[in-house]
Amino acid sequence: MGSAAGALPLPVLGSRVAVRKRVDYENSQEGGLVRRAQSGDEAAFREIVERYQSKVFSIIHGIVRQRNDVEDIAQQVFSKVYFSIRNFDFRSSLITWIYKITVNECFDYLRKKKVRKLVYESDLSEDEARRVENTEPAVNRQAPVDQNLARRDYVVKLLMRVSEEERTLLMLKEVEGRSVEELAMMTGMNENTIKVKLFRARQKLVKAAQRLDRNPVAG
Amino acid sequence: MHQVILDRLEEYLAGTPGSREFTAHLESCPACRTEVSGMQELSNALGVLRAGEEVTPPAGFYARVAERVEQQRPRSFASLFWLDPVFGRRVAFASLMTLAVLGSYLISRETDYSAGPTNPATVMAEQAPAQDPDVMLATLASYEP
Ligand SMILES: [Zn+2]
Repeated sequence: MGSAAGALPLPVLGSRVAVRKRVDYENSQEGGLVRRAQSGDEAAFREIVERYQSKVFSIIHGIVRQRNDVEDIAQQVFSKVYFSIRNFDFRSSLITWIYKITVNECFDYLRKKKVRKLVYESDLSEDEARRVENTEPAVNRQAPVDQNLARRDYVVKLLMRVSEEERTLLMLKEVEGRSVEELAMMTGMNENTIKVKLFRARQKLVKAAQRLDRNPVAG
Repeated sequence: MHQVILDRLEEYLAGTPGSREFTAHLESCPACRTEVSGMQELSNALGVLRAGEEVTPPAGFYARVAERVEQQRPRSFASLFWLDPVFGRRVAFASLMTLAVLGSYLISRETDYSAGPTNPATVMAEQAPAQDPDVMLATLASYEP
């Protein structure tokens, strides 16, 4: 992590290091499991599902908070894993790849359901839901339940305005609490690339927030 | 945003106290201060998506995943025959029937033709104008059986 002035430098060795990491991972125990699943071994696929199902359920629940729909989204995640495992290229770890699929599925789901409806369909009474509906998320900080729902609504709207890659990186950093160093290992990118990508994603979020605060209905 | 801030931004947002250089710059540079504070606020806001509690998948989850995989598995043309021999035989039979009907139709058409001019010269004379595409189109358009 250099502190030299100018643009963040991108080390020349980055790609060679990434290739070595990829080879190491491919030869690991999990790499073997993935290769078996890639060749159509159902038992290997089952092992992957059983290894990561709790994690996937928790990620989905954190994002959508709709108990009834968590399993449906999780099934879709693992179905995607099944059909696209052949495209998995060992550049990132398996869980990072599954994480990306999971987050995408959640946002697809939320996009379809519309964020506004999400608030209504939650466990709130109609009165409470109406109060949330009339609340400006970023400003009003009174009732804690309302506040949490409104904040999720707000954050989801913002995250819909960045790319899939930016969303995954932001989520891994802010929601999963991973460090830049861990992100570099998980994704196969170098730390400076991660920093630059996160910085641009954060800039987009700030801009999206400014637009949303000016015109909350547009979200 | 200035480089001194950019370099340490992720650590700072993750809660590591900024170095003396970092803090000094933030205090003296209103542009960086505003940008960092906006990012800090959103960084905190994203925490609302944290799982909070462990969610245990209900029993039989894998079986339901396997079922969904089967539903979504793309069916190739060949697999239709392999998976359902009865259906395959029906398709084969229907194809044969189509061929038979088509064949008898063609033969009957052939019979019609044979009633027409048989002399090659006559046939050529009749078809000659059609060699010009425009004439052919006009012929087709004005054709009345
Ligand atoms: Zn500055």
